[in-house]
Parts: sequence; C-alpha cells; structure tokens
Amino acid sequence: MATLIQQVINGLSLGSVYALIAVGYSLVYSILLFSNFAHGGFLVIGGYICYGTLRTFGTGIWLSGAIALAGAGVAAVLTERLAYRPIRERTNVTLYLLIASMGMSIVIENIFVIVAGGRFRALPPVIPTAPVNLMGLATTSAFDLLSLVSAVVFLGALQLFLSKTRWGLAIRAAAYDLRTAGLMGVNVNLLISIVFFVAGALAAVGGIFLSVRYTLYPQLGAITIKAFVAAVIGGLGSLPGAVVGSLILGLAEMLTAGFISSQMRDLVVFSMLVITLLVKPTGLFGKSVSEKV
Amino acid sequence: MSGYTEGIIILLCINAIAAMGVSLLTGFTGIFSLGHAAYMALGAYTTAILTVQHGVHWFPAIMCGGIMAVAVAFFIGVPTLKLMGDYYAIASIGLGEAIRLILENWQSVTRGARGYPGIDPYTTLPVAAAFFVVLAICMFNLINSRFGRACKACRDDYIASSLLGFHTARIRVISLMISAFYCGVAGALLGGFLSFIQPVMFDMLKSTELTAVVVFGGLGSMSGSLLGTAVITLVTELFRPISQYRMLIYGAVLVVIMVLRPEGIMGNREFLSWVKAPFRRRAG
Amino acid sequence: MGEGSFPEAGRMSAFFELSGVTKNFGGVQAVSKMTFSIARGELAGLMGPNGAGKTTIFNLVTGVYDLDEGQIFFKEEDLARLKTYQVTGRGIARTFQNLRLFQRSTVLENVMTAAQHHVPYSFAEGMTHLGRWRSGEKKIREKSMALLERVGLADRAEQAAGTLPYGFQRRLEIARALALDPELLLLDEPAAGMNAEEVSSLNVLIREIHRDFSLTILVIEHHMDLVMEICPHIICMNFGAKIAEGTPDEIQNHPEVLKAYLGEEEVE
Repeated sequence: MATLIQQVINGLSLGSVYALIAVGYSLVYSILLFSNFAHGGFLVIGGYICYGTLRTFGTGIWLSGAIALAGAGVAAVLTERLAYRPIRERTNVTLYLLIASMGMSIVIENIFVIVAGGRFRALPPVIPTAPVNLMGLATTSAFDLLSLVSAVVFLGALQLFLSKTRWGLAIRAAAYDLRTAGLMGVNVNLLISIVFFVAGALAAVGGIFLSVRYTLYPQLGAITIKAFVAAVIGGLGSLPGAVVGSLILGLAEMLTAGFISSQMRDLVVFSMLVITLLVKPTGLFGKSVSEKV
Repeated sequence: MSGYTEGIIILLCINAIAAMGVSLLTGFTGIFSLGHAAYMALGAYTTAILTVQHGVHWFPAIMCGGIMAVAVAFFIGVPTLKLMGDYYAIASIGLGEAIRLILENWQSVTRGARGYPGIDPYTTLPVAAAFFVVLAICMFNLINSRFGRACKACRDDYIASSLLGFHTARIRVISLMISAFYCGVAGALLGGFLSFIQPVMFDMLKSTELTAVVVFGGLGSMSGSLLGTAVITLVTELFRPISQYRMLIYGAVLVVIMVLRPEGIMGNREFLSWVKAPFRRRAG
Repeated sequence: MGEGSFPEAGRMSAFFELSGVTKNFGGVQAVSKMTFSIARGELAGLMGPNGAGKTTIFNLVTGVYDLDEGQIFFKEEDLARLKTYQVTGRGIARTFQNLRLFQRSTVLENVMTAAQHHVPYSFAEGMTHLGRWRSGEKKIREKSMALLERVGLADRAEQAAGTLPYGFQRRLEIARALALDPELLLLDEPAAGMNAEEVSSLNVLIREIHRDFSLTILVIEHHMDLVMEICPHIICMNFGAKIAEGTPDEIQNHPEVLKAYLGEEEVE
C-alpha cells in the first residue's frame, strides 16, 4: 500500500513536470497549428543555464532559476524569429515548419554536446531531496512535493495570465483564429514571440526539475517526446488537456516502473499514444481543427 | 576497382534505396517521419536472424526483412495516418524508441546492444547494384503513374483530393508501407555489407540523415533524393575526421534549407525534365 | 417563401434534392431547414449575400460537413451516408470558393489527377509501366488536354498551376472538375474576383459546358449578374434559410431578396 501511494506521488510529480513542458508545447500548437519539435531544446537550455549560473556564480536557486527561465524564453523567441518566421511568412505548408523545428532541435542538442560535452552533470544540491514522511502513510521525497507545488504555481500563473491580462486574452483569441485576431488589431508577430517566450520559460522549469531527477545531459530534451504524447492524449491545443494527459502519463509510467518493470515504461507510453489515436484521436479535451473549405 | 571504391558504391546503393523510400513518404506524400531508421533496423535484424540462425538464403531473407518492416508500418500507419497533422511524426519518434528498446533488451533473439555479428556478407557489388536498379526503376515508374499523382494530391490538398475521389488515408498508408519496404531492404543489405549490425546504427542520427538527404535534394524530386544521397554519403566519407559534427551539420542543413530554399536543390524536377526541356521549348 | 414556377418535385422524380437540411456550428445556425430540388439537366443558381450559408450547403452535399438534420438525395440515393471520397464516384464534382488547385503541379497534371479517376490500371502496371500503363496514361493525357483546350488553357499546360493569373486558375479548377465526368457540377463562386469582361466569358463557358457535356449545374454566386444571366432557376437564401425561389424575373422583384441585398455594396 505504501508503495502504491509512493508511486502515485512519484507519478504525479513526474506528471507535473511533464505538464510544464506539454503545456508550453500545446500553447504553441494552439496558435501556429504545428508541433514545435525544438521544444525539448528549450528545456535543455534552461537546465544548462541554471547549472551554469549555480556553478560559476554560486547564486542561489531562485536567481539561477530566474535567469534560466529568461534565457530559455529568449532562446525560444530567437528560434522563432530566425527559423520559423521566415518560413511562416513565405508559405503555409506546416511540413516545412516541422522539418525546421526538427533541425533546430538537433542543432541545439548538438551545440551542447560539442560545447558542454556529453557528461552527465549533477546539479548542485540546491533543491532539497530529503525524504519526507507523509502522515505515516508513505515516504516520499521533498523533491517530488516541491516539483508538484512548483508546477501548480507556474501553471496557475499561466492561467491567470491567460484569463486576466490583455495579452492573455489576445492569445486565447489567436488560438481560436490567428488570422482574425490579426485583423482585429493584434500584433501577431509580437503575440507569437510572447507565446514562445512563455513556452520556453515553462520548459526551462521542467528542465531544471528533470535535471535534478535524471542529471543534466544534452539529450535530456529527448524526454520531450513524452510531453508530446501527453499533449496528444489530453488533446492537441488544449492546455487543461495537456495537464491532465501529463498526469495520466506520469502515473502510468511510475506505476509500470514500480509494479512491472522499469524497461517497460517507454513501451507503455508509446502504447498509450497508439491507443489514444485509435480510440479518440482528438484526445480527452481536444477540439478537431477544421479548415475553412 | 579497389575494395574501398567498391565499398563506397555499395554504401551509395544502400543509402539511395532508403532515401527513395523516405522521398516517397515525405517528399511526395508530405508525411514527416522521424523514425525511419526503425524500418531499416527491422529489415536488418529480421534478415540477420533468418540467415544466421535459420539458414535461410539471403534473397528470401531480405524479402522477409522488407515485409516485416511493411507489417509494422501498417500497424503504426493505420491509426496515425488517417488523421491530418503531426501524429505520425510523433508516433514515429516513439516507434524508433520502441524498436531500439526491443532490440537492446530482447537479448536472446537480437544479441542486445553489443550487436549481431557473423552475418554472411551477401551484399556484393552486383547484388547491391541489382537491388538498386530494380527498386529505382519501380519507384520512378510509380511516381510517374496514377499512384504518384495520387500521393501528390494528398500532399498538396487533402480536401480537394478527397473530392477527386482519393481515399487519402489509404493512400498515405500505402505510401508508408512502400517506404518501409525500401528502408527494410536497405537495412537488410547493410547487414550483409558490414557483416555486423548494432541497434545504434539505426538511431536518430540515421533517421535524420535520411530526412536531411531528401530535404536537401528537394521535396518532391526523386532524382534530387538520389543526388542528395550521393552528396551526403561522399561528404560523410571524406570528412570522417569531423564525424562528431555530423549530427549538427544535418540539423543545420534542415533548418537552412527550409529557411532559404525549401525546394532544395532540384525543387520538384527530375533529371529527365532537364533533358526534355530544350525540346519542349522549341515546340511551344 | 416563394416558389414561383418551380413547385417542389416529388421525391421519385427529383434528380438532386435537399430536404429540411440543417447545420449548426456551435450556437450559429449556418443552414436552416433548407429544401429545394433540381431536375436533371438544369442550370440553377444558388444566390445570397455573403455568409448566407451557400458554401456550407456544398460542403454538406460533398460530405465535408455532417448534416445535423434533413436529407440530401442525389439520383434517389441518400448522400449523408457517403464519405467524401465516395461522392465523386456517384457523379458529383465541385469547385471551391477559395480555389484548391495543386499549386506545385503543372496545369496539365492538375487535370490528369482528376481524369485518372475513370482510367484505372493496376498498381503493378503502374510500377512496371507494362500492361495498360501506356494506353492508360495516353488516354488520361489526351482527355486532360482536350479539357484544357475547352477552357482555353492548352498553351499553358506545363506551367505551374500556382503561377497562373487568377482568372485562369478558376478555369483550371472547372476543367479539373469536368475531368471527373460528373453528372452534377457544383460551382462555388466561379466568378469571384473577376472583372466584367472575365465574368462575361465565364458565362459563355458555363453555358457551353452545360450544353456540350449534358451537365446539371448548380452555381453559387453572390454577384447578381452572372446568376441572373444564365440560370433559369434560382434559389435565394439568407441567414441559412431559403427566402425565394423562381426565375430571374421573379427573384429580381422579390421583396425578401431586395431586402437581403439592400445595403450590400456590389463589389465590381
């Protein structure tokens, strides 16, 4: 029983980190209707900036974290400006954006391979990982609770941003119909930059937590595929869906790892993707985007 | 001809076969795939196991390798390709991962991450060249037929193509199955060339290389994919010293081409059109 | 609702019929209890201001959208059960308001892609270029070129479709639709963006193909001049519902029609 509760908390914790990544990815998808495969790159950038500032400047986690978020956000905006905007302005073939995003993902990952080396790096222990006893029912680590809480805080902040600010409203309108939002006077390019900044920042938070959990290495971004799957399960383009899908995925992974085998984790994730596409392709909350004919 | 040159030509044939498969899927049918090396792995391992452990002759074994790839492609393709959007791309990443996991962990059958040695070197120059020529003729014929036009229609406008009577989902799945066959055969030939295969040979680097080749040559040009294969295979050989930068270069190629010249080198023209063009202009 | 000279045909004899067709999008009723029928061989027009629901009707007929209520019959078959790609096989072809050509392909290839529908040869024949491939391709090419001649685009056969002037792109779409050998041709705003001269020659073309190909044609237009000039049978709609039906004379003086168009600037 204790193991079950432990794995559930593990799963929710992992799921909440996936949620941070999946939400950013779904946010971009809802506006531009393409899968930004470079999203994992922002995660890695966030992780390395945090590591770098912690190590080199010895700053506390709060400042390092903030710098990492800003850095990843800026990197995301630059990616959009340099790689996606020129394509977007010339053509509406999303295949080109997909290919470019894949290219960017590889470029970012390999820049780190070359510059930082493929070593696994452990972040300085600034995030507590001490075991915590939950009312005698189970033991979990402070880290799991912290990542859960942080995810809630950041996602809550995002929710406030989207529902209570002018730009949030603009983003929601653009998610519904980008061209109309533009015609209504929204500065579309600026809006897209803001969306990418937010997505990058969220990915960075996820990256920091993941680098504590799994250590930091250039291919850490590959874990984003699970966030993609979570987003599909929840419904591409739906932010609540991304969160729910991520939690489901995290739980499924941890329960599989705990009760079946660790190797089967990824197979379970993949199977969940295929099952979703077979049974309910639009996901739990997804709206099917219909083209104007 | 020296052994080294022969080896390069064999490698060119193998890479070209795989590139044609990816070209059909991505360039002509518009489906982005990130895990095509998985089909090469399926072909390679199936053929290796059949020839080494069951004494099957290499020709039927290679066919089985291709068919195995086709079968898996069918199972992945049917649920993911009836949906428009990036679902197949995401699933293909997952497929690549799933295949890698199976290959590394099912040690009793695949000998695990250490690799599968002792494959009979059946891929001689005549064998590789023969496979290449036959498969190339079939592919060029296909794209110059009803099926080729159907793929392009589905790529360019799935709503219009539905209303021209095309069963878009089915065409996409068929295209995927053909491309999987080509990659499966290429993988099987690779095993017979190196006498040794390892899961890591069929990783993201290989998948990316295949996509980069097709993008570079031109999405929608089969000749372009062949040209791209020749360029990248030769460059890879010449620049062995900087091989750790290969991934970075492939990634950069993808981005740069998409931004600067998305039609790649050949656009959607084929070699033959260059020959015909002067005659056409004179007539019209 | 005026029906003028066209009482609703009984179900048994109607060639193409809508009955109580309704389609909602969220809270908006795009099409509301739409009912009309068209006899074989007619050249009919579907008119109405922008946003009246005309294209939605085409989308419902061709299976792009699902019906919420009502039925659509073509040659006495209920179209609602068909998938989009099956509609062509029943003999219906359409063009699109926003043009859906295969931009990267040549003019000829666009038409060939449609023409091949009726010239089957097997996959194996396609892969080996044996058997019926050569004769099939020849037939497809000849049929397509003939259609291009018909619409005046034969000399641009090898041009990329996306590079054609706008008016020619519209003609190409018509040629492509004709290549399907349809019995019912649905033209969605074929004159959009054309000047007066182009509209005149389009009128001539539509009349010609109506006669030469023995077609039944339903044209959507919100410009009055095209429809009034060539369609003896006009259905007028607004806000998703039918407001009038009859001959051009009857429609021209119909109070509901005038009300619908009053205040709407004719873009010419």
